[in-house]
Parts: sequence; structure tokens; C-alpha cells
Amino acid sequence: MDFAYLGLALSLLLLVIPLIIFRHLKVKLTKQLLISFGRMIVQLSLVGLWLSFLFESKYAWLTFLWVLVMIFNAVLILRGRIKFQRKILTPIFLTSILVSTVIIMPWIIFVAVRPEPFFSASFIIPVYGMVLGNSMNGMALALERFESNLSGNWKAYTTRLSLGASLWEAALPAFRQALQASLLPQLLNIAAMGIVSLPGMMSGQILGGTSPIVAIKYQMMLMSAVFSAVTLTDYIAIRLYLRRRFDRFYLPKK
Amino acid sequence: MTNLLKIRISRLFYEDKELLKDINLDIQKGERILIVGETGTGKSSLLNSLNLLNHSYEGEIFFKDKLITDYEPQTLRSHITMVMQEPWLGEGSVAKILNEARGFHSFKKRGIGDQTQRRKQLFKDFNLSEDMLKKTADQLSGGEKQRIALIRALLLEPEILLLDEISSALDQYTSGIISDSIFNNFPGTVIAISHDPLWQDRWQRSWKLSGGKLIDQREV
Repeated sequence: MDFAYLGLALSLLLLVIPLIIFRHLKVKLTKQLLISFGRMIVQLSLVGLWLSFLFESKYAWLTFLWVLVMIFNAVLILRGRIKFQRKILTPIFLTSILVSTVIIMPWIIFVAVRPEPFFSASFIIPVYGMVLGNSMNGMALALERFESNLSGNWKAYTTRLSLGASLWEAALPAFRQALQASLLPQLLNIAAMGIVSLPGMMSGQILGGTSPIVAIKYQMMLMSAVFSAVTLTDYIAIRLYLRRRFDRFYLPKK
Repeated sequence: MTNLLKIRISRLFYEDKELLKDINLDIQKGERILIVGETGTGKSSLLNSLNLLNHSYEGEIFFKDKLITDYEPQTLRSHITMVMQEPWLGEGSVAKILNEARGFHSFKKRGIGDQTQRRKQLFKDFNLSEDMLKKTADQLSGGEKQRIALIRALLLEPEILLLDEISSALDQYTSGIISDSIFNNFPGTVIAISHDPLWQDRWQRSWKLSGGKLIDQREV
């Protein structure tokens, strides 16, 4: 079900409420609100125009190209977000995203869902968007946790080394904690699905007129793809990080 | 007789600073060596170089006539084991802490069998009750922690034990128990940094670090 642009404008008018509250309390969020919503309107309009063009075109390579742009953006965002060991991280981001994509997406596309046609942009773009966005956040969290577990606890690490641990054995406890920190919130979120809130994609589909039964199937498929991709990306990223962070005596590289 | 450890270091650094020059030392099995010297003379850097925890030096170190850098680090470290000042023990019961290193591949590879008897003996030597096995690290006193750390290292059956100021935070009585147990029960080589006067007269050999040089003295 579509609605009028006037209706959209009227819903934006609701923002008067937060603006009044900010002014009343002298909270310095007014400027940020205007920037944030301004950016949202511009970005989503462009994406909307671009996607409607993409969905109507029949070129598989265009979809593929757009996926590459999404990956490129994800790596850029990760580079901006992570504040340590920047020099070694970019290839790690790229490799872990690419490997997990190549494993998860073909399974979803060619084996599980089999959309018509296979490279249908209206299927791949939203599904991969969810997979990639979650992998990106999960990986950033996992790497941050792993590094802070290690550097916040050097004594544990060097003690294990002193007792004859390999690099892998000495870093494994920090690795486990990092994976837990990254994955547990996702699992809790999955467990609450349906009873606390309707997931974004499902709400969108239902509003768009899809039957709820079809929408839940999509949601379950999506959560399996997302969760597996996040776990795989985290795992690959930390393993690669481990190899680049330490020298052949398992000491941190300068 | 071949030397257990042969140190040929021309320059030893801490970060970019040169600390020691021209070190030529041969160490035999079972020697007890004390490293003394003021703070910043390079005692810890030298000790750490011996089990690959530091490699800011120019020169070569041989363990059993093979360059230490040619060993797999975990293999070397399970033969040349270090115990640090204020040890880190980890989580869980003392029994679990003592067992952690048994799970490492380098330990399994050495084919050391059941150690229950040996552990019992070590607890006796170090004047600890085996009831402690059920406690966790945060329930132990400083002296107890240090003794558990030593037992953990000795259970690896190392050939060389490196001790970095292990008694500096302990009272004289505990420090005495610890040095007695090491001297009376560990047959291997011990190289220790210590300021403890109690330890000073028990050594066969001392390395005094001062002004960028190492003076090697043997007790007579």
C-alpha cells in the first residue's frame, strides 16, 4: 500500500515535538537532528531512485557491481570506526567479508531460496544488505573486544607463552570472549523475535502487502544467513588479525 | 661436555637504548645463577632474551648447541620456563590452573605421563596443603600464589627455570620456603633476578650488571 508525499511531509512534521523538547531543555541536539534527518532524506531518496532503476534493469552485472560498491562502503566505514592497528586491518576487513560472502550467498541464492531470476536485484540487494551490515558491525565489535582482551591482559598472554603455549593457545581465551561478545546480543535478539518487535524486513514486507506467512519465512531465512555470516566473518577476521599482529616468536609486532 | 646454554650477545637493547655489551657466557646443567644490578641495567631484558620473550639484541643464544630462534617458540619455552614477579594465575580452581599447560600441544608432545605423585611431592616441598587445589586464585595470599606459579612451572619439567624477582613482594619467611624448595628439589638450571638478601649466599655464580657490562663471578 502506497501513501501520498503529503503524508510523508506530515509525518516529518512530528519532529516538531523533539525540537520543542530540545529547546525547552537546552539540549544541544537540534543541529544534529537536522543533519541526521537531512542526510537520511537525501541518502534514501538517492538509494530509492537508484534501486528502482536497478530492479527494473535486467542486467545481472549491475547488481554485482552494486554489491561491490556495498562492500567497498562497508570497508570504508570499518576503517573509520576502528581506532587501532589501522595499517594491518584493511586487507583483513576485505578478506573476511569476501570469504564469508562467497560461502553464504551462493547457498542462499542457488540452493535455498532460488529467486527468479537468480540475480534478481530486488532479492539480492536487501538480503545482502542485511548480511553485510550485520557482518560489519559484528566484526568491528569482535576485533575491538579481541584486541582489548589481549592488551588489557598481557600478563595472561605472556604467562601462557612462558608455559609453552602456541600463539593460538595463548590467544584462544581472548578469541572466545570476543566471539561471545559479538554473537550473544544477536542470539538474544533472535530469541526475542516476534514477541518484542517485528523485525525490520518483515514489517516492510507486511506493509508492502506480502502475506505474513511469506514474510516470516523470509525473516527466518534471513536470520540464518545473517547469523552464519557474522560468525564466519568474526572468525576469519580474528584469525587473520592474529597472524598479522604477532611475529614468529608470538610477540606483538612493533 | 657441551654447554646447556651458550650466550653470545654483542649488544642488548631495551627499545632503542643499548643496555649491555659483549656478553659471553656458558651455562652448565644444574647451575644456580643470580643476576644482580640496579634498575634499568638490563636484567629483565637479558632474562627475557633466553626464552624468546625479547629479541632486541645482536648476537646469538644457543640451547643445546642449537640457536634458540631455530626452535619452535613453544617448544623452547616449555624447556626454558619463566616465573614472573606477581604471577598471573587465571580463573577457576588451583587444580584447573595447574592443569592448563598440560593441554598445550608442546606439553603433550613431550609424552610426560601422570603427574599426580609429582604434584603431591611439590605441594609438600613448598609447604602447601593439597586442600588448596579446590580454591580459586583470588582466595590465595601473595606467597601462596607465587608458590602455585612455581609449581605450575615445575610441572612442565623444564631444564632451565628463569625467575624474575619472584620473592620481591613476599615476607622473609615465605621467601625462605620458596628458595629452599627450589634449591632442594629442582635439579635443573636456575637463573634468577633477585634483590632478596636471603637469596644472595645460596648461589654458585652471579652476574653483576653495571655500566653496560656483565661481570661473571663464581662463588668459591
